[in-house]
Amino acid sequence: MNAVTFFPNLADTPFGKALADKTGVQVKYIHPNEQQTKEQFNLMIASDELPDTIEYDWTGRSAGSYPGGPEKAIKDGVILELNDIIDKYAPNLKKKLEEDKELDKMVKTDSGKYYVFPMIRNPAGLVFRGPMIRKDWLDDLNLPVPTTIDEWETTLKAFKEKKGAKAPLSVTYTGGNFEIRDAFIGAYHTSNTFYIGDEGKVKYGPVDPEYKEFLTLFRKWFAEGLFDKDFALTDSKALDNKMLTGQTGATVHQLSGGIGKWMDAMKKQDPKFKLVGAPYPSLNKGEIPFIGQRDFKYNPGASKAITTAAKNPELVAKWLDYAYSDEGAMLFNFGIEGESYTMENGTPVYTNQIKNNEKYTLQQMVSIYAKPNGPYEVDSRRNWNTYPEQDEAVKIWSNTEAEKHILPAFLTPTDEESKELGKIMTNVNNYKEEMFVKFIVGKEAIENYDQYVAQIKKLGIDRAVEIYQSALDRYNKR
Amino acid sequence: MAKHPSQVEHSTRLPYARTKTLGRWGLPKDIRKNPWLYIMLTPVLLYFTVFNYYPMYGALIAFKDFSPRLGIMGSPWVGWEHFESFFQGIYFWRIIKNTLLISIYELIFAFPAPLILALLLNEVRKTLFKRTVQTLTYMPHFISLVVVCGIIKEFTMSDGIINDLFSFFGWERVSMLLESEYFRTIFISSGIWQNIGWGTIIYLAALAGIDQEQYEAARMDGASRWKQMLHVTLPGILPTIIILFILEMGRIMNVGGEKIILLYNPSIYDTADVISSYVYRMGLQEFDYSFGSAVGLFNSAINFTLVICSNWLSRKMNNTSLW
Repeated sequence: MNAVTFFPNLADTPFGKALADKTGVQVKYIHPNEQQTKEQFNLMIASDELPDTIEYDWTGRSAGSYPGGPEKAIKDGVILELNDIIDKYAPNLKKKLEEDKELDKMVKTDSGKYYVFPMIRNPAGLVFRGPMIRKDWLDDLNLPVPTTIDEWETTLKAFKEKKGAKAPLSVTYTGGNFEIRDAFIGAYHTSNTFYIGDEGKVKYGPVDPEYKEFLTLFRKWFAEGLFDKDFALTDSKALDNKMLTGQTGATVHQLSGGIGKWMDAMKKQDPKFKLVGAPYPSLNKGEIPFIGQRDFKYNPGASKAITTAAKNPELVAKWLDYAYSDEGAMLFNFGIEGESYTMENGTPVYTNQIKNNEKYTLQQMVSIYAKPNGPYEVDSRRNWNTYPEQDEAVKIWSNTEAEKHILPAFLTPTDEESKELGKIMTNVNNYKEEMFVKFIVGKEAIENYDQYVAQIKKLGIDRAVEIYQSALDRYNKR
Repeated sequence: MAKHPSQVEHSTRLPYARTKTLGRWGLPKDIRKNPWLYIMLTPVLLYFTVFNYYPMYGALIAFKDFSPRLGIMGSPWVGWEHFESFFQGIYFWRIIKNTLLISIYELIFAFPAPLILALLLNEVRKTLFKRTVQTLTYMPHFISLVVVCGIIKEFTMSDGIINDLFSFFGWERVSMLLESEYFRTIFISSGIWQNIGWGTIIYLAALAGIDQEQYEAARMDGASRWKQMLHVTLPGILPTIIILFILEMGRIMNVGGEKIILLYNPSIYDTADVISSYVYRMGLQEFDYSFGSAVGLFNSAINFTLVICSNWLSRKMNNTSLW
């Protein structure tokens, strides 16, 4: 949720003013357009007109993050290596890094360079995304929350036939990203991207033989109308519409952006409307899901690096370090005492103004008084869930073996490796996405799967796996 | 006394057709003669220098391994590497084919559409009706492309209005933007819808410039409305058509990338992916500036060649040309 919805600039929010007051630093914020963050970041880098500090993903791992990762960004002279700066000017952050070795490993490069002031997630907030389903429909139809692929099929069929859902299962697909991530795919013991196999080796899911089984399933569901016919065109707005008009009864989405948002929206119109989290589906009943969404303590996208354009990096560092102090943490997490929160028995509680606002959701209100995401440590006492179903969903979604199988997001291939990786993955991603949709909509015969795998191999996937493997080995040695 | 159409053929030159060449020392002399004209020209020249010619040196990065920090001059040279990897890439022929096909369809279907509408409007004698049609057909031109594409998406969805219509006649519902074979039709027809009215403006202006005496003469010779259009109207606006055609040729490889990017998705890349959308994906989304720029340069080179050729051809055949 973006504060810019209410104020043109973060500096004008109560939060921005309080921060300027406390630190004595007046800051000019530049906010990219939410839809085009990646393009605007790329343009900013290309034009070499950098602000003092940039909140962006520098890991080089996710789509859009700085290609080549932090080592390259430092070498390119875009951002500063922060080791000395943290030592001298960021005592609060330094303390946190010294106390938490696991975090320390995540936020530095193979050669031990620090490059950001990190957002440190609350350990209870690492899982926030997963399959969800209309509980009120399930109750009407006398069905349990589905756990296996077969149960899902039965449920979706019932949604279609008895509830008139045009697209019983629908997920967003934007900018070539299929937001189902590893749900359903994980049932076949593989993943939508690179993952760590049971033997501890890096693998690329979309060329696994098991991946074909997932494609076969979704192809069937698509043909039978159980899976959204327009899935490749469904952005989050379209999904909102489908969820709220009863065209869709199940999706894979976020805790607050999904369950919370939709239940809020339906509170008045249809008080029965109820969404609950469903476990990541498995093939056989009782299996612990192979993989699911689970994030890391360090959130690179909401972390700030200091650029080489900063005239006074020491001051920037001090300003950023304030967020890790006890006082700063309260401001960043809860906002202003007496206005957005009050202390009750030593625990901060959001005021009514924030919690029960007529027009805006809790998250929208929090974004004015505090910073929902950003470089600071998230307080474990903070909870934005407004419905018990949300707390429940986190528990359900957490029960996976994701921790074992997800590739750490902070691997740092070397400069040369990154370049090679970039060339390979650009082609692979393009080809994979195209074939993915074609397999599902039935335009490509599923028998051609082997040719598809062969083509991806030809594009160099084995080399990419090799690069990630060696980066993983180095990461483990950090 | 009315002139026969064939006698006036060459008098309908457009004002910017070449009329006189300056001699070797003509320019300084001309400046002294018309100082104000040249002063007024200065901002225009400046504009083109700053915004169109100066950035051209940036095209150098197509031959370099561009890194923003090192800058254009500082980045190392790599020669034709990016061009080679483009020509050898698995998508080269596909995007060339798509670009050409969409352009050719545009030339066949979209280019004549405003001309036809203008000719039809020209035959309408009821001013009120003519104005109404004109205004209605102009309007889509002013809708932002993003909105237009949103409308197109909504309409072509499996439960959209177009599917409602077709399913009424017993067709099966399909998500049209997921089907590669529909893409070109959707792209071209929505383009016509959006631009037909706007395109007629120039033709209507040219039509207004035709000497009314010619029609009188034609009528005296016993020409029907149809014959009048064929022998008076069409030749009268032919130079305009040709100029617009040459301009269109220059854009032949420049299929509207924005619109495609807003409309396409991976399942229809095989008909929808064109050079400009590919450049966008590679250059800006994947951060491969040099590669993107190499592809873009290649594209411009073809466009340049096409304009020169069609201009030359038209000068030979019709005596009408841009320069």
